[in-house]
Amino acid sequence: MRSDAFSKYHPLTNFVFFLGAIGFAVVIQHPAYIGASCVGGALYLLLLKGRKCRNMLLGMLPLVVLMAAWNPLFNTYGEHVLFTVFGRPYTLEALCYGMAIAGIFAAMMLWFSCYSAVLTSDKFICLFGKLIPALSLLIVMVLRMIPNLVRRGKQILDARKSIGKGVGENNSLKQKLHGGMQVLSALTDWALEGSIVTADSMRARGYGTARPTSFRLYHMTLQDWALLAWMVLLAALVIAAGGTGAEYTPQIDIPRPGWGFIAYCLYLMIPSLLHGKEAVQWAVSISRI
Amino acid sequence: MGCLDIQNLTFEYSTGREPSLRDVSLTIGKGEYVVLCGPSGSGKTTLLRHLKTMLTPYGKRSGAVYLDGTPLERMTQKDQAAKIGFVMQNPEDQIVTDKVWHELAFGLECLGVDPKAMRLRVAEMASYFGIQSWFQRDVASLSGGQKQLLNLASIMAMQPQILILDEPTSQLDPIAASDFMNTVKKINLELGTTILITEHRLEDIYHRADRVVVMDQGRILANDTPRKVGQLLWRQDHPMFAALPAPLRAYYQAGERGEGPITVREGRDWLTGTFENRPVTIPEPARGEKTFPEKDPALKAKGLWFRYEKDGPDVLQDLSVTVPRGSLFAIVGGNGEGKSTTLKAFCGVCKPYRGKIEIFGRPLREYKADRLYKNCVAMLPQDPKSLFVKSTVLEDLREMCREPEKIEAVARTCNIVPLLDANPQDLSGGEQQRAALAKVLLTEPKLLLLDEPTKGLDSMFKKQLADILRALQARDVTIVMVSHDVEFCAEYADLVSMFFGGQILTTDTPRRFFGQNSFYTTAASRMSRCIFRNAVTAEDVAELYLANLEGRS
Repeated sequence: MRSDAFSKYHPLTNFVFFLGAIGFAVVIQHPAYIGASCVGGALYLLLLKGRKCRNMLLGMLPLVVLMAAWNPLFNTYGEHVLFTVFGRPYTLEALCYGMAIAGIFAAMMLWFSCYSAVLTSDKFICLFGKLIPALSLLIVMVLRMIPNLVRRGKQILDARKSIGKGVGENNSLKQKLHGGMQVLSALTDWALEGSIVTADSMRARGYGTARPTSFRLYHMTLQDWALLAWMVLLAALVIAAGGTGAEYTPQIDIPRPGWGFIAYCLYLMIPSLLHGKEAVQWAVSISRI
Repeated sequence: MGCLDIQNLTFEYSTGREPSLRDVSLTIGKGEYVVLCGPSGSGKTTLLRHLKTMLTPYGKRSGAVYLDGTPLERMTQKDQAAKIGFVMQNPEDQIVTDKVWHELAFGLECLGVDPKAMRLRVAEMASYFGIQSWFQRDVASLSGGQKQLLNLASIMAMQPQILILDEPTSQLDPIAASDFMNTVKKINLELGTTILITEHRLEDIYHRADRVVVMDQGRILANDTPRKVGQLLWRQDHPMFAALPAPLRAYYQAGERGEGPITVREGRDWLTGTFENRPVTIPEPARGEKTFPEKDPALKAKGLWFRYEKDGPDVLQDLSVTVPRGSLFAIVGGNGEGKSTTLKAFCGVCKPYRGKIEIFGRPLREYKADRLYKNCVAMLPQDPKSLFVKSTVLEDLREMCREPEKIEAVARTCNIVPLLDANPQDLSGGEQQRAALAKVLLTEPKLLLLDEPTKGLDSMFKKQLADILRALQARDVTIVMVSHDVEFCAEYADLVSMFFGGQILTTDTPRRFFGQNSFYTTAASRMSRCIFRNAVTAEDVAELYLANLEGRS
């Protein structure tokens, strides 16, 4: 991931932002708002990942088109019939509604991609570790175990292949299943053996002897609070302004977007603006040297 | 502060085997650096685990352990966790969390240290151990040496008074092991932490120790300075003598009686002192080395190129090698360079994207899988555990072959007959290695590939392994071995190759190979090169020493 200003804020700030962005995206059906959310999400994702996310964005397009076109097949409400499919009317209103749903879906996908890039597992633990300490340790240990198991599984498969017991070489399905089961059981044995050592290591370091505290990598700064205040203010404006609802079927009824829309756009642009601001500051400081 | 006192400790496992500790009494003063050594199964680990009650095994026990005058049972668990640091053998399984910084903080979190104080202590430790640059990384992305260093640092963050290390470097390559040992010595010297350490490879730590304690069959056999212990082991003709550093072994094998040299420098002083005014008439070992016919090689590789990922670096770069039939061919070289990959390419697990491999004169590509791994090629992986899939050794062997006679013969060759009914996961490192070797041998290979076969083995198991390999060679099996163990290769290999930069650079007999190298060579060679030529083992040095002293020609 590239250097990103918003990711450097406290996990709580990040989390509240995504809560707002994704929450609004789910409940608001106004097309302008949906469009803004998609644009904001796509822009930030591009800033975060650069070209790497191009494939993902391109891959989403046909999915979105399909979802939009799919809806009128089942939903036949609406006044303007475009054509009939299997004897059922295919209406303009239903198509618009399908597009709105597809847009909501796209916006959620985009914001969730940004979310997973920004709020890494350790930030998540930092946020929720205090609420449920035992569970957060469990999550950390599982995260540690998964790459281990994958590596060991590969090791076992390679080792068995090099003595002629590879899975691919047994022809019948039954043999393949049998071979797979054996590898799995060996892997389990191995993991259990390892977990005994891990348990020893935990006890040796005093696990369970005192009320645990937690190491904090992140601290709320003044900047965090300021950004948080801005976010809350903008979100409140969006809610206060209202006019976010829209009717598609049986008649299209979309209110004119007002100043609430501007607040919404500003809210969604927060991470991208911060990213841009940092880039500009950097460029300026370089040019001074 | 950090003063440990063990009094008449006797312990018997509840499984009813012979007592594992018999009347052990040992005092370790504050700030001392004590090495505990002994053959596998002599009770070293059992003793260490008694020094921390939460790790103590179940069984019958008498005697007591005191830390600074307080019996361990009377100390709180929290106190023990903080004051007694314990680093175990396996770098991987000791790590609890997924991030480096979290692992460093884990012990302090458990002890309930105030977050502010914790921040400082973690920062301190990270700087002291040079971990800052990988502080935020995932544990999974670290090398074995880094993982073990992380284990040490996360223990040291709790500021223990005594540090106990149970074979901490047996899973590491020699360079990483040496780094780790330097750090331990630094902790001892700069922080004054008392150190108690067990280790197979004494070469690196013997000269650093204040005291060496030798255990055998649950008793303390010797407890003295490194020099005195060396002398004692020689007098008793004890099997542990083979584990001592090469200078000491050469010294006593050459018939000397005093207190011997324990470092290469002292060894060289001893040799130059003796031959200062004496002519060296026989500068080179006389024993002939085996030669192998060039024709009809067991394995021939030409111009191999391989990489794991499309955009990744090339691991093998134009690698070419010829392995003569019937030889024990060793490949040595740095860590993570691609030596294991080379073996995988030889047995068809990795497929090079360019180049040719011929096995017994036939291209590897033309072999069908069932023909290739039956009576032809087999590989023993670096971690023998990855070969075991059943609950007893015998069942595991039966998976390969149904004929009881063959299984019995192989079990006898590999010296595992008493272990057949045991669970392979319960065996010691050396036993697992031999059981895995037995499983591999049941495919009756003519070309056997071994990946780091001496990793984590003590000197006696190494000797056993060498005997098995010799027996196989006598049956016309060709062996290719990848190893870090320079001493083992010098003693037992027929040909040695240097692997560097994805290629095999040179191939020569061990004497000439190690005789020419000045850095990548054995301690015996480094110590004797100013007097003798091509003496690469302690035996070579001792033999030349005696021959020249007597003036034989």
